[in-house]
Amino acid sequence: MGPLSRDAWAQRLGAFRASPSAFMAGPEGEDLGRDLLGDLRSEKLSEQTKVSLLALSLEYPAQLWPDVSAAEVAATSLLDTLVLLPPRPSALRRPLLLAATTALAAGGALGPTSGASCRLLPLLLGLAAGSDLGRGFVPASEQRPLQATACECLRELESCKPGLLGGSLGLLRGLLGQEGPVQPLSLLLALALRNTLVLQSRVGAGLGGLLTDKVSPTGGGPWDWTLVEEGDGRLQPQAPSWPAAEEGEGERSLTAREHSPEEARELRAAVIQLLDTSYLLTPVAQAQLLWLLGWALRGLQGQPPALFKPQLVRLLGTAQLTLLHAVLALKAAFGEALFTAQDEALLLRRLTLAAQHPALPPPTHLFYLHCLLSFPENWPLGPEGEEAAPLLLGPQLCRGLLPSLLHDPMALLARLHLLCLLCAEDEEEEKGHLPSPRHYLEELLAGLRQRAALDEGPRALATVCFQASYLVTRCLAGQPTVLTPLIHGLAQLYRVRPMLASHFVDFLDQVDSELREPLKVVLRQEVVSRPGRDEALCWHLKMLAKVADGDAQSATLNFLQAAAAHCMNWDLQQGLLRVCRALLRAGVRGGLVDLLQVLARQLEDPDGRDHARLYYILLAHLAGPKLGVALGPSLAPPALASSLVAENQGFVAALMVQEAPALVRLSVGSHGVKGPLPVLKLQPEALEPIYSLELRFRVEGQLYAPLQAVHVPCLCPGRPARPLLLPLQPRCPAPARLDVHALYTTSTGLTCHAHLPPLFVNFADLFLPFPKPPEGAGLGFFEELWDSCLPEGAESCVWCPLGPQGLEGLVSHHLEPFVVVAQPPTSYYVAIHLPPNSKLLLRLEAALADGVPVALRTDDWAVLPLAGDYLRGLAAAL
Amino acid sequence: MAQRAVWLISHEPGTPLCGTVRFSRRYPTVEKRARVFNGASYVPIPEDGPFLKALLFELRLLDDDKDFVESRDSCSRINKTSIYGLLIGGEELWPVVAFLKNDIIYACVPLVEQTLSPRPPLISVSGVSQGFEFLFGIQDFLYSGQKNDSELNTKLSQLPDLLLQACPFGTLLDANLKNSLDNTNFASVTQPQKQPAWKTGTYKGKPQVSISITEKVKSMQYDKQGIADTWQVVGTVTCKCDLEGIMPNVTISLNLPTNGSPLQDILVHPCVTSLDSAILTSSSIDAMDDSAFSGPYKFPLTPPLESFNLCYYTSQVPVPPILGFYQMKEEEVQLRITINLKLHESVKNNFEFCEAHIPFYNRGPITHLEYKTSFGQLEVFREKSLLIWIIGQKFPKSMEISLSGTVTFGAKSHEKQPFDPICIGETAYLKLHFRILDYTLTGCYADQHSVQVFASGKPKISAHRKLISSDYYIWNSKAPAPVTYGSLLL
Repeated sequence: MGPLSRDAWAQRLGAFRASPSAFMAGPEGEDLGRDLLGDLRSEKLSEQTKVSLLALSLEYPAQLWPDVSAAEVAATSLLDTLVLLPPRPSALRRPLLLAATTALAAGGALGPTSGASCRLLPLLLGLAAGSDLGRGFVPASEQRPLQATACECLRELESCKPGLLGGSLGLLRGLLGQEGPVQPLSLLLALALRNTLVLQSRVGAGLGGLLTDKVSPTGGGPWDWTLVEEGDGRLQPQAPSWPAAEEGEGERSLTAREHSPEEARELRAAVIQLLDTSYLLTPVAQAQLLWLLGWALRGLQGQPPALFKPQLVRLLGTAQLTLLHAVLALKAAFGEALFTAQDEALLLRRLTLAAQHPALPPPTHLFYLHCLLSFPENWPLGPEGEEAAPLLLGPQLCRGLLPSLLHDPMALLARLHLLCLLCAEDEEEEKGHLPSPRHYLEELLAGLRQRAALDEGPRALATVCFQASYLVTRCLAGQPTVLTPLIHGLAQLYRVRPMLASHFVDFLDQVDSELREPLKVVLRQEVVSRPGRDEALCWHLKMLAKVADGDAQSATLNFLQAAAAHCMNWDLQQGLLRVCRALLRAGVRGGLVDLLQVLARQLEDPDGRDHARLYYILLAHLAGPKLGVALGPSLAPPALASSLVAENQGFVAALMVQEAPALVRLSVGSHGVKGPLPVLKLQPEALEPIYSLELRFRVEGQLYAPLQAVHVPCLCPGRPARPLLLPLQPRCPAPARLDVHALYTTSTGLTCHAHLPPLFVNFADLFLPFPKPPEGAGLGFFEELWDSCLPEGAESCVWCPLGPQGLEGLVSHHLEPFVVVAQPPTSYYVAIHLPPNSKLLLRLEAALADGVPVALRTDDWAVLPLAGDYLRGLAAAL
Repeated sequence: MAQRAVWLISHEPGTPLCGTVRFSRRYPTVEKRARVFNGASYVPIPEDGPFLKALLFELRLLDDDKDFVESRDSCSRINKTSIYGLLIGGEELWPVVAFLKNDIIYACVPLVEQTLSPRPPLISVSGVSQGFEFLFGIQDFLYSGQKNDSELNTKLSQLPDLLLQACPFGTLLDANLKNSLDNTNFASVTQPQKQPAWKTGTYKGKPQVSISITEKVKSMQYDKQGIADTWQVVGTVTCKCDLEGIMPNVTISLNLPTNGSPLQDILVHPCVTSLDSAILTSSSIDAMDDSAFSGPYKFPLTPPLESFNLCYYTSQVPVPPILGFYQMKEEEVQLRITINLKLHESVKNNFEFCEAHIPFYNRGPITHLEYKTSFGQLEVFREKSLLIWIIGQKFPKSMEISLSGTVTFGAKSHEKQPFDPICIGETAYLKLHFRILDYTLTGCYADQHSVQVFASGKPKISAHRKLISSDYYIWNSKAPAPVTYGSLLL
């Protein structure tokens, strides 16, 4: 097929963009990638059309070239097209470079065996260096833009294959010092530097002369892939999320390896060079640079965080979201080392101010408010990961951040959360000069209910009222002064606008029993005290099906009897029967028998009569517990045909196990050392209410004995669950990966099976202490263990870097339970029992400022490398 | 920190889909990283159709809000930021940064460089702020100087090329898309060394500096015991520096007269090179005292080529420019209203315009009106249930004016008269709209002497000032009114 015309391509691209999957499944799908590459060289198409073809390849390479070999062919073809361009200015050079880069990186073809990679990399580096590539390859007018583009391409490749540019650090640094474009080079150098630091520290090497070596790494020879290969091609988070970095997953975080003074000096010089010119970068690029450098230098010895100080005042003064966010990242990375208590207070004030500044847009306010409640404090008090008002953020600072009815729903809820936190804090004490936050909260909730009660009001008004009420009950549980007026207010709202019954039912499902039970009582009273024949009857029945139980039977039955006469249509009759069913389940018998008998005769609809009769028979013949089982699982909504069929389907579904996405998450909690076996503490969290949860674990590689399943009766989102204890029986003392399956019942009665993300058991999770020797016998005990290790076992000495808290901090943080002999702060003897029957003994003595030599012995040589990795990772994990 | 994809969607209520994807861009190399980083919790970027549907549902922009839908309306689904989780094909795509402005929904999905289960806190995800900045940048580009739909379409059609410059691989390089536009237009200009990335060329021509100060004053007046009236000034200082040289150094100072009100909560443009600590710490959060820093406020900077907002500030002036009360009472079938407005003597009595809008919500059309006014004219918009009192250019010598009368309403018809969730019963407000040229309430000014330029040639300096009302409410003092926590402080 010859080249397509411009219009044909426009049409084809339009069809593709409308739905890529549909287009690729169609007849033209297969040829699209090939045609595109071919037509890029067609002389009949304008440059503009070709740019639009390249734009498509930038977005959908996976669809155009679905496998590695196709991506390689595509990249080669794109490079050929680039080389064949006539030596005059063209709009195609930039997009061709971008497209070749995208094809290689997204297609997974980037690597030492890929011909296209080996052509593209030196080409990009040459362009970035501004070198003469000969044959008029780059017209003079395009040199500068292409230099920047080449840097961007290299940065993307480095992001996808960390370590790629490790050998070019010196060259890039030199270029930055000369005439190169500042922003692209700065960002590229910062990223390459960061990745090199991570990779080098992992293999225990230093930077060597990488920062000063100005020779191009290619030097005419092949590209140097060593560093990439050392990193196993594993991706590096450029700006790791804080908790992940805090956990210091040993190998991932930067271990504090000591650099030689010369290396440290060069590194510092490079960082200062980057920071000094950072002002020339756009604000978003400055922010990237700060995230990169901040996390690169964190925990690195000889690199004081004070390097960042000169930038901070300038950054704090701006209104730029990215810049202030980057400052917060620095705060999280360095804490007190960079921000004194006064600095912290200033930062908080600027954040408070930005969260309400009238000149900033609402989404920015909300994000800053989130930052305030998740503020990385120097000395946080509350539990980690929970939103809380920082200590320094008192009521005085907050008063401009409190909600009012004039705010839109999101701002209102965000500010309401803050108000609740303030109310929770100030408990009973009244602040003399400030109005009581609790009183203000009450007024606000009353205002919200008033709005929700409006007849013509949109549903969103009701939704926000219930969301606010829910937020208050979450934050201020156990405070009757808040909850009692809330309950009465809600009952009043129901009286005015019963059509909000669905919201009430949902609210009752979500809140704790502390609020649910009293609210149920008042709502039931609201319903049954009515004549039972108004137009809101369907809502009342819906409400009653939720709140009816064994209490106040006669009033409930009276209401239903009165209502039965008005239930003329199918909907209402079904509503009525649902209430009867709820009463049946609650164990109501007496008057219900009569009512069901009446309904079985009286109802117009045969389906309704059948149901009433069925319930009557069940009630008459089954004892309480059996009745519960019979009515238990399925509350499937009635289908169009007959509700009996629908219920039958419900039963069938209830009997089958469904494959489902995981509605439960597991995280590994802190590690405790009690009892004869190591125990993994798991924190479950549900996304929806689930019941009868069974968690099954399988150890990969049979490193441990098979694990018992864990059972949890009920999990609800938002309600804290008790941690689960999973005892481990190792067959050998090694970390392992646990495969996790969950089996559970949903609130609609279905039994589901789901595969959860694997859990990791770390080496330190297996540690157990030896039984405590008698007072004073510690040293002898330890020496005995120490001597017993050899000759079968192994011995080694490891350099364990120390963080700012020194040896004492390190021991108390990680090794406390295992210390047998302690002479703080200089010497500690540590004995660790590793089940099933290994031991690990450590002597930590003669610490220097930056590290401590650890003599270690074990009776199991296989433990030695694990112990070494563990010790080296400790300082970073502090 | 990078973006996996970005969308612009126009919100079209009343159409079958309620919206159209006007622009979308995916970043496959970032997507590839997302797949690795997110591991088992990875959810791919959907095609435009499903994304549109899920986003409009989550933002409550579909026309089907009649029924209660648990996945949207449940009380436990609380969203406190403009960042959402979208249910698509049974999986949840998170975090989606999205907001609606001028009927366009701006949305993007930042890369999270770790597993999403459990979700990391938003504050620790670097791509979130970048995503916001990206969307704000696109918004600025689309709406700067844009007047009609065809201009919007032209700008939308320029976006693919611009993003090829400003965000070629998903990592944003410059939120100011106009810079990229200039870059594409003047690619042939060879840039000299150490050119800032935010300055795409150099100015050639007569040197001139223009500074304009716009103050907006907002107020909430209640005329009630136990509730304090509040008011606040918000200032924006806009500059355009046409100066030769790559990086001309300029210092701009803002001055206050001796009785001026100190500027607070100052936020500056990133081109400001250093900031005095007094400027950084002067804040409305603190109780005011006489020792408050009152300038001059000096801003050393290297200006960008285009016009930019040098700084924003707020200020607490001692009195509101116009103090008023509004009394409204329901009397059987009609409403009786009394309004009194008084211009403070210190305020320049020379308006470009001044009007009071008196809306009546949740009622039928106005059928009958009797009124008496001491000054100005009254316009009646019967169908909209709105009165506009046109006060004009000057208050009379007494500085005080009043309006009183009775209004009768017809039967309500839902389509035409406005609904308002706050103005229920007698709760009502009037809103003042006015503008005064060559004046600021704080007294803040910039003059010839307040600009120092360290570049060749003496520039021509021009300075402008104006005061505009914004959210200037006077509430009916005879009925409850929504208060802020601040107005309870007495």
